[in-house]
Amino acid sequence: MKAPAIVPPRPRWLDVVGALGVVALAFTVWLGLWITPPDVVQGNLARLLYIHPPIATVALYWAGGVAAAGSLLYLWPRTRSFFWDRLAASAVEVGAVFSVLTLVTGSLWGRPAWGTWWTWDARLTSTALLLLLEIGYLALRRVPADPAIRARRCAVAALLVAIDVPLVHFSVDWWNTLHQGGTFLDPGFQIHASASMSWTFLLAFIAFSLVFVWLLGVRYQIEVLQDVVGDQELEVSLAERWSEDAELVGVGGPEPLEGGGAP
Amino acid sequence: MSYVDAGYAIALATLFVYAVSLVLRRRRWERALRMSERPVAEEGALPHGERS
Repeated sequence: MKAPAIVPPRPRWLDVVGALGVVALAFTVWLGLWITPPDVVQGNLARLLYIHPPIATVALYWAGGVAAAGSLLYLWPRTRSFFWDRLAASAVEVGAVFSVLTLVTGSLWGRPAWGTWWTWDARLTSTALLLLLEIGYLALRRVPADPAIRARRCAVAALLVAIDVPLVHFSVDWWNTLHQGGTFLDPGFQIHASASMSWTFLLAFIAFSLVFVWLLGVRYQIEVLQDVVGDQELEVSLAERWSEDAELVGVGGPEPLEGGGAP
Repeated sequence: MSYVDAGYAIALATLFVYAVSLVLRRRRWERALRMSERPVAEEGALPHGERS
């Protein structure tokens, strides 16, 4: 017997986060492009700094952190669950988009400020390496394998991505780089910007963080749907195969798999 | 177009396109799930590894 599938419900809070993210992003653009005054040194070019550091923060710390935590919790036997694997995979994909934007917005700032689109500076190179590692993770994820084996492989790959995160962060301290250190905060957490600039930067940070949470949530839902559909297709194929075998030999087929066909 | 305008336009457009692509992918998989059938014995079953 067959029954129609149950589609997992969409959490309401995620729509609220998405709406707040869009509103915050709209205010960020308005403040960043029209309201805040030009910088004394950089002029209007400083307006790019309202989006570049927040985007980089999401790519590096939020996405990298979720991917690392999810992978560690999957690898740890006591907390092992495909929830963590899906969360890490979602974080890496969303993080890759933010890594691309980090490099593009940084390059657009670097061209007029440094006179070059790209230089093999430690911060830039380690960020490019982060993007390459994320692409590698996503490629590995597409390799057909048993779900448990794929999850273990990807968890290890995500940890390689995570290793690059402190490398990017400390690159400006460990090497003599063209890229400056803290843009708005120094190591003593002293703010180097006027009040209006600081508020715009703070709003941008919140806006991109909210957008990240929404994107992560939707991407996670896709991971769940893919797994449910994959499991059901497997179950249906096995049931059909068993019924064909049973007809051939004239006996009942084996018991159906428990736990949705998972190993 | 200035570097600043280009930066904002590229960032917002990329995020918008990625968000739309995610929503469309989610809708496609939801449709695939609705169209699929499953054995009655599996009713309420969670995807692999999911803990209830």
